[in-house]
Amino acid sequence: MTMAAAGSPSIRFAYRPPASAAIAFVAFVFFAILVPRFPTLGNLENVIRVASILCIAACGQAVVLILGGIEFSFGSSVALASVVTVLTLPDTGTLGAFAVGAGVVVLVGAVNGTLIARFELPSFLVTLGTLMIGAGLASTIAGGLPIDAPASDAFSWLARGRIAGIPVPIALAVLSVAVLYFLLAHTRLGRFWYLAGANVNAARLAGINVRFVVFAGYVVAGAFCAVTALILTSRVASGQPNLAPNLPFETIAACAIGGIPLAGGQGRASQVVYGVLIIAMMNNAVVLLNFPVAYQRLMIAAVIIGSVLLQKLAGKGWQTGARSGGSS
Amino acid sequence: MLNFVAMDEARKQAPKTDRGQAVLEIRGVSKQYGATCALDGARLRLYPGRVHAVLGENGAGKSTLVKIVVGAIQPDAGTMLLAGKPATFRSVQQAVSAGIVPIYQHLSLFPHLSVRENLSAFALGGTRNSRAAKAIVSKETARAWLDSVGLTIDPDTELGRLSIGERQLVEIARGLGQSCKILVLDEPTAALSHAEADRLFAVVRQLCAAGTAVLFISHKLEETEAIADDLTVLRNGRTVIDAERTERVNRDTLVHAMLGETVNVGVRDLPELGEIIFRARGIRIHRRAAACDIAVRAGEIVGVAGLVGSGALEIGAALAGARETAIGTLAVGDRIFPTGNRERAISLGVGYVPSDRHVEGLFPVLTALQNASASVVPTFSRRGLIRRASEHGRLVPWLERLKLQPLRPHLQASGFSGGNQQKLVVSRNLALANLRVLVVLEPTRGVDIGAREVIHDAIVAAARQGVAVILASSDLDELLALSHRILVVRHGEIEGEMSPSSGRETLIAALAGRGAP
Repeated sequence: MTMAAAGSPSIRFAYRPPASAAIAFVAFVFFAILVPRFPTLGNLENVIRVASILCIAACGQAVVLILGGIEFSFGSSVALASVVTVLTLPDTGTLGAFAVGAGVVVLVGAVNGTLIARFELPSFLVTLGTLMIGAGLASTIAGGLPIDAPASDAFSWLARGRIAGIPVPIALAVLSVAVLYFLLAHTRLGRFWYLAGANVNAARLAGINVRFVVFAGYVVAGAFCAVTALILTSRVASGQPNLAPNLPFETIAACAIGGIPLAGGQGRASQVVYGVLIIAMMNNAVVLLNFPVAYQRLMIAAVIIGSVLLQKLAGKGWQTGARSGGSS
Repeated sequence: MLNFVAMDEARKQAPKTDRGQAVLEIRGVSKQYGATCALDGARLRLYPGRVHAVLGENGAGKSTLVKIVVGAIQPDAGTMLLAGKPATFRSVQQAVSAGIVPIYQHLSLFPHLSVRENLSAFALGGTRNSRAAKAIVSKETARAWLDSVGLTIDPDTELGRLSIGERQLVEIARGLGQSCKILVLDEPTAALSHAEADRLFAVVRQLCAAGTAVLFISHKLEETEAIADDLTVLRNGRTVIDAERTERVNRDTLVHAMLGETVNVGVRDLPELGEIIFRARGIRIHRRAAACDIAVRAGEIVGVAGLVGSGALEIGAALAGARETAIGTLAVGDRIFPTGNRERAISLGVGYVPSDRHVEGLFPVLTALQNASASVVPTFSRRGLIRRASEHGRLVPWLERLKLQPLRPHLQASGFSGGNQQKLVVSRNLALANLRVLVVLEPTRGVDIGAREVIHDAIVAAARQGVAVILASSDLDELLALSHRILVVRHGEIEGEMSPSSGRETLIAALAGRGAP
């Protein structure tokens, strides 16, 4: 096949890695040289395993960011899911309980989507509201204390099992990134997400059903987050009303570090991967170097702001559009 | 009705002496926003005791000029003389302390505070917290200030309880408390009733008698002519009528100056007319406007003409299903659809090029190809999956035909020039497989000559394929060259219809509201 002869620009098939790929690479080399036990196979698997749990939820966050929104409710819907999963476990069995738990997270996404798409409320406030509602519900249902799940191999398989030698969370993360890539690059829905995120007025006037598109985005985001919720529940083997309160912020940080602008309309699956890897490597190195845990946050904060600044200066991915009103 | 006659009389009685030295003079002022040149060597002269109106279409540079006068933005070039002495304002505060007091279109008052506290706002802005209490004006002062604008209300009333007109007077009173030399009124009557506007104008006259210069911005020609002593008209960032006395400018000259002598539009053979395929029944864009009915034939290009604020663009948007109206229906063939539902409109083959490309048309961060294909995604996707080769194959020929430059479909749309961005929005509609009706608003505003020709050709070519075209534009030559007939819109209603063959002067007269076309 001669693509050029067909008048099809070859650039379309050339993969250009995002700017954050370079940052991830530099970070990797840097830690590999400076941190003694960092580049061992066991440690790297650990890094990726930790990264994978964050990565799956970050895929959901990426969808919402591309839509020009933001999703905070991850922080409590994960906890709510874990409590509900553990409570339904005795009646429904492992699979059933996981289904119910996942359903809860997707439902929270659907509620967010309805309020944001149908009533045109700001995502910031809606998801902040559902974050609080979820936290309240989780601790009310659990009575304020963690509920232990009866020990079972089936229940802990999600977090500790392996498929063909690969830890299950890593396999699920790879699958999630693949699904996100496919949705964004190859489906009509993904294209509509970009259009609605880039200019919601123009999308509406171009005849796109913006309400459905936005609603679907929050539901899909909930579905990604549900996978993270189940892995976390499986790992702690209990219903924790305070399971992952920082998840929304970590996922937003991962996407931002990866180079997805909060302005909407832009973002790729690979950017999520690099952002998540940068955060995970960072956390791991801080622990290996025996820095106090408090340092982790300082370092992550520095990396978020630093990498966003770097990408802004490099002018890649961060076209926030210096909008100038040249009106009358 | 406004008491224009009385005001006209008052003005004619004013002594026609020399206007004296300009209290404010601006020369050669330019301002660039990105690639857009908002002002290009504009000029403005205000004289004491006179109302000076600035007129111009949207995008002419009025707002930019006003913002420069009040110190809200700084020009890139040009000089400003205040009573003959050079001056520069780095902030609104500096301008206010120099005696230039802005009254904004959107009131800058605090509805939950009392009138007296509102009157003190400028003083408060200049003090530190600990002194705030002292900066509140006394009740007597407040009363005196309110008196000067003819308001007899208790200064301790909560502002929110006043009418919009009264609030505007409070805002003026606040300005007068600042030893005001120049009062800047930006669209002051936009939200006022006739009675309130009359009252405002009476106050303005009174201020002028006391020597204040008034800079007056309005879209309404009638009231501008009635109140203004001097006129400045801006077009494309340049001053085309410079501080001329109002009585020396007639309405046609004014409209002509605002719209300009544009580049000649090439004459084209217009297609033959077919059956009526598009009907609008009983469309009313606002409550007080009369309903309009429009029927357009296949191959017909119907021009919609109207000055800015006339409602021509709103009617256009309503016809495309892009703007909800309280009543009225649209129909393509015998398929009826409601206003305000673009999804349905597109499914019936109604294309739409909105008037404001940046707000309603462009996806700046997406590629040219994604911009061009936004309305036709279903045509190159199957079972929810995008087929990129098909997208490329369907859209790139359109981009070639519209001479997109550079012809790089994968470049971000924000990197293209205005004209080429507009081509992307146009091609989005031409690519509709079932295109039967095309509504284009201001298709060539802010577009270079080359792109203009291409877009005009594309519109005529679409009509030749049997598409019914509705073309709303403030570009008279465009309307005259491309339309089979022209509907004239004033005050949100279709006031009449004319044939392009009756000429530019007739159209100008119709737009100016003189004589049925």
